[in-house]
Amino acid sequence: MGKSKRTEMFFGPNHPGVPGNYGINYFYEGDTVVSAEPNPGHLHRGFEKLMEEREWIKNTPLVCRICVMEPDINEMVYAMSFEAIGEIKIPKRAAYIRSIILELARIQAHIFSIGGNCGAIGLYTAMQWGVLTRDYILDIFEEITGGRVYHIYIRPGGVRHDIEDVTLQKILDLLNDLENNRMPEFQKLIFENPIAQKRWKNTAVLNQEDALSLGVTGPALRATGLEHDVRKLMPYAAYDQVDFKVPTGEDGDAWTRLKLKKDEIFQSIKIIRQLVNNIPAGPVSLNLGNALKYKIPAGEAYVKIESSRGEYGYYVVSDGGLKPYRVHVRGTSTPLGLYGVETLLPGCRIEDVPVWAHSLGICPPEFDR
Amino acid sequence: MRSENELIELLNRDLNLLSVKKLRKQNISIRLENEELVSGLNYLKSHSYIHLATISCVDWIEDNQFELIYHLFSYEDKISLSVKTKINRQKSRFVTIKNLWGVAKYYERDIHDFFGIKFTGNDNMDELILENWNEIPPMRKDFKTRQYVDKKYDWRQYHGQE
Repeated sequence: MGKSKRTEMFFGPNHPGVPGNYGINYFYEGDTVVSAEPNPGHLHRGFEKLMEEREWIKNTPLVCRICVMEPDINEMVYAMSFEAIGEIKIPKRAAYIRSIILELARIQAHIFSIGGNCGAIGLYTAMQWGVLTRDYILDIFEEITGGRVYHIYIRPGGVRHDIEDVTLQKILDLLNDLENNRMPEFQKLIFENPIAQKRWKNTAVLNQEDALSLGVTGPALRATGLEHDVRKLMPYAAYDQVDFKVPTGEDGDAWTRLKLKKDEIFQSIKIIRQLVNNIPAGPVSLNLGNALKYKIPAGEAYVKIESSRGEYGYYVVSDGGLKPYRVHVRGTSTPLGLYGVETLLPGCRIEDVPVWAHSLGICPPEFDR
Repeated sequence: MRSENELIELLNRDLNLLSVKKLRKQNISIRLENEELVSGLNYLKSHSYIHLATISCVDWIEDNQFELIYHLFSYEDKISLSVKTKINRQKSRFVTIKNLWGVAKYYERDIHDFFGIKFTGNDNMDELILENWNEIPPMRKDFKTRQYVDKKYDWRQYHGQE
């Protein structure tokens, strides 16, 4: 083979393989990427600045918009940081409901992400199935909160209102349907599909050393063999009340990460069943007074929780006023979407770049917040 | 695995702390001198605090200071540790930690975009998120969003509006 020419390629933001409004500028030789640079900033909306100019409660409808895939996660971290600074202890039923919501959110994010990964390799049937299956979960969210994608449900001091018993039963029915009908179909279509396996195995490999030094968390880290999950490391909501396993893998490639996501869906189903069956009675929120006059003492908190793709953290500073003094969002994919592109993408083949981005869960709004 | 109190004891012994605070369960924050921050982080990294979650910056305009917060986590101790240092707001210059954590390069570029802090040793301080920005950095407290918008853009006139 002769010497190949080095060519520059603008991958995104207008490219179907890119997960969001985001670009990667890379050089390739032959069909292999040799150097890459992230190009974020296409959807910067100044959330952090906006939050400094709004009362505490007014930020709840704002934070969920930071990442489309993780609205409940954002609401939860924001509410938790408020409660951590104010040393507020939420009622037990509220903690259970929060966990149920977060696990439903995890299932919908995983299903959507598995669908997205299939889209990245051209398995479009599975992509449509992913969107469809997610919609059944969104129906439940609509019934509980009134919103499909953005729920504005978890707020400082608890949750907005109670879940009816009828709805809890509907959640259980949905989980049964998911476990007995939908997941076996996904299993046949995606996980027993030899073409998909061939495409995902040994693609976009992330080893343990790189994952740790970059600060990668979630399924991408667990696929390298470590059992790190914020739900176990620093339990929040009602996760210390339930029994569940953290699935891990060995190879660290796209295939392992997807298999972990599938396994996590089953663990989430198990968690929700336990929560629904043991949910205590009682109030679901605290009365913190006039919502526009919420006040917490001066203080700071770095709070993190486990989103579907790993650690989601907020650093919140209060100066004792009606508004937060500073909010800093640490999105899950920030290390991978910025530094990871520069260091890990070179060596990847051109057709594997979408697989790389999707399977590592790059979500541009998180670092473009 | 160390408990919070054991960790505080260890840090008091080995590092020159300005202050140490147990914020809540599994959460500790310490404050270091500017000159000792990099060596302090190096020490912590070799004592199982290998996870750098992010670097935050806070503008304390009334004290004329910027505060940098390095959020670390140890999978062994299961403790979240915030390492803080304050720098002069006028000088707005600090040293990079990209040799400890390569990923910090981008966190520093982000802070440079939004607070205008230059990190010595970080060779790439180009704009990351912003583009062609020539005002004061937008996350500083003296940047007023509304004033900027009024100055930069014309308000649209609607029918029936004077």
